[in-house]
Amino acid sequence: MGSVCCTQQHRRADSDEIEQTAEIEDRIERESKAEEHIQKLLLLGSSDSGKSTIFKQIKLLFQNGFDDAELKNYIPVIHANIYQTIKILFDGSKELSQSFSDRSRFHVSDENKEIGERLSEIGSRLEFPYLTSEIADEIETLWQDSAIQETLSCCNKLQVPDCAHYYIENLQRLSNPGYIPTKEDVLYARVQTTGVVEIQFSPVRENKRSGEVYRLFDVGGQRNEKRKWIHLFEGVTAVIFCAAINEYDQTLLENETNRLMETKELFEWVLKQPCFEKTSFMLFLNKFDLFEEKVLKVPLNVCEWFQDYQPASSGKQEIEHAYEFVKKKFEELYFRSTSPDCVDRVFKIYRTNALDQKLVKKTFKLVHETLRRRNLFEAGLL
Amino acid sequence: MPMLQPSKKNGFLGGGDGRVLDLDTAVKDGVLGGVGAGGLGTGVVEKLDLNKMIEELNLSEVPSVFICPISLEPMTDPVTLCTGQTYEKSNILKWLGMGHYTCPTTMQELWDDMLTPNKTLYQLICTWFSQQYVQMKKRSEDAQGRTSELLTILKKVKGQARIQTLKELHQLVDNHSTARTAVVDEGGVTVLTSLLGPFTSYAVGSEVIAILVNLTLCSDSKANLMQPSKVSSVIDVLNEGSIDAKLNCVRLIEILMDDKGFRAESLSSHSLLVALMRLIRDKRHPNGHLPGLALLKSVSIHNELQSLILNIGAAPQLVELIPFLNPECIELTLFTLDALSSTSQGKQALKDCPKTIPTMVKLLMRISEICTGHALSILLSVCKLAPEECSLVAVEAGLAAKLLLVIQSGCRQILKQQAAELLKLCSLNYSDTMFISKCKLTRTIQ
Repeated sequence: MGSVCCTQQHRRADSDEIEQTAEIEDRIERESKAEEHIQKLLLLGSSDSGKSTIFKQIKLLFQNGFDDAELKNYIPVIHANIYQTIKILFDGSKELSQSFSDRSRFHVSDENKEIGERLSEIGSRLEFPYLTSEIADEIETLWQDSAIQETLSCCNKLQVPDCAHYYIENLQRLSNPGYIPTKEDVLYARVQTTGVVEIQFSPVRENKRSGEVYRLFDVGGQRNEKRKWIHLFEGVTAVIFCAAINEYDQTLLENETNRLMETKELFEWVLKQPCFEKTSFMLFLNKFDLFEEKVLKVPLNVCEWFQDYQPASSGKQEIEHAYEFVKKKFEELYFRSTSPDCVDRVFKIYRTNALDQKLVKKTFKLVHETLRRRNLFEAGLL
Repeated sequence: MPMLQPSKKNGFLGGGDGRVLDLDTAVKDGVLGGVGAGGLGTGVVEKLDLNKMIEELNLSEVPSVFICPISLEPMTDPVTLCTGQTYEKSNILKWLGMGHYTCPTTMQELWDDMLTPNKTLYQLICTWFSQQYVQMKKRSEDAQGRTSELLTILKKVKGQARIQTLKELHQLVDNHSTARTAVVDEGGVTVLTSLLGPFTSYAVGSEVIAILVNLTLCSDSKANLMQPSKVSSVIDVLNEGSIDAKLNCVRLIEILMDDKGFRAESLSSHSLLVALMRLIRDKRHPNGHLPGLALLKSVSIHNELQSLILNIGAAPQLVELIPFLNPECIELTLFTLDALSSTSQGKQALKDCPKTIPTMVKLLMRISEICTGHALSILLSVCKLAPEECSLVAVEAGLAAKLLLVIQSGCRQILKQQAAELLKLCSLNYSDTMFISKCKLTRTIQ
């Protein structure tokens, strides 16, 4: 009798286990099905191409944006950017005054030199003090120095972050004791992405939620972090490749390579990856506003990829002409790096300025439309 | 029994006591099978030329009693035979003139060759067509007015409203020539063109192109549309659109190319050619093949664009497509390949494709003289590149016999010369006897 009871108990335990296992398997199946419907977007591009800014924009547009706590988290980053900027400029002016023949250009005035040394010392520390109004004033004074301005005009040789102008202009506000960063401040903040960041969102369409769910991944852009991307490559719906087109005259942080050539190489490498055979490619030619300013002053030919460029006109027309030239180069590169059987994948080029929220929203709407049409097409409905 | 009261009212039959219908009412109420009610008041009918109206209206559904049994066309001068059957005068005269003395429909022998003009029927026909004409004119005017309205709206709205406006405009422009002229006259082309750009969504872009394709564009408008960002929009739709949208794009590009100020570099885009090749190879929509190939032919004429076509690997794709195409398409394809074979890159691409030579050999003397001409030209280009290797392949494919056929045929002199040249080129690798055996005509050719 006892044994019968025992077996009965066993059986009950067994059946419980079986039920649990079934439930778990059921959940796994449901979640994998749900996973299938999530379209994965991968942000790629070399460092400083604006990937993380796009990432932030998506967060602002389609999620709940940043709450106060998150905004406050950015204060140290913003202050760090300011310290780094002024340090780079001051150190740069010293360097340039030694290597250029007319060194007087880069000679900082004596009063400012003292300020400069102090700030440079702060900038080399690992942690920065909070930006007080006094320090802000000093930075402003130094910034006004003609030598620093001269250095700024040669900034293609230095690694001056693009946010320099914006932050210096807003120094007073940023150094206020009760300062809370605005959305724009956060968008300009420059911090190197390490590892992988992801957000999940649903594109909101004219106040309705459409059914598609996207998951956007942002990966580190520095050269020594590329190996981290590899395990993400399988199964992405689309790659959003960011290329900052204003960097055709700038060099990398690590060595003397031209930045745009680096982007070109990276783009080629990504296109040839077998895991991307069926992936749609959205190329964002980013930092168009900076490109606009630069292209009339610095000819495109300084970049060896663009050495066959012939300026055709001037002013706005010339900007358009230059942009079309760059666009065509990227197109050529795409088709050269694509084997004939991959030619069917979607490839579109967008002109973006990642800091402009309206533009990013419009651009993303178009991307979304393209991906939807692609889905319909693949389902045979088009 | 109703009495016919001779009445001078309304100029037509019948008076007003309701037992006999006046003509306009009869037609309006559809008693005589008139299509579409309403419209005209009584008596106010313009004496428009009946022939002109019939032609302009070009209606497919005309009441059967108005149709001549001989020509099946509406009658403009109906006459009745003694048998009571009515025909168009010129047709029945022809019939009788041929010596027939019968009524065509009843087959009865005529006892009287009198042709009585059927005035009643004539007046019915006139009224009916006049009504239809006036209605059509009104619809056209409505269309014109509505078009103006839509253009004004278009300048202001965005988003879904914009798409709806464009869709309605598209409908109007499709159906009414007055709408088309209205759009052009009121600067609509500029408005529509301004909607194309880097941020144009597919929905907007495809409608704009569908509208533009229907209009007559002046040279300035065409030049405006050739701006790079607008061309990109068109190419995008060509890449992603439905088959109808793609066909519209092809037509629009052809319209733009047909302009004195056209510069080939504005179309130098890989995406365009990839999209075109995709259209040409789309097995699900064969109606796209011919337009696509025609545009490709127009593109291949321009030297600057030839290398682009070759860069995307189009040459071998076209060669492999030939067995599946109809003769008209094959001719276009051969033209394109011939144009490409004039460049060294093209020659190499064609030589590298293993199917080129056998396909070209098969096409000789198969479809038309033009096709044979192109095939010969391509074979010559390829074989000259690597005579030993290619002539071997060619001869094995039965080239020699075909060339003999060309030489013996009634083709143009130049083709015969080319055939002779090719024959000589190929025969260099064989001994005489071997070569002659290769020339033996197979039974199928015989």
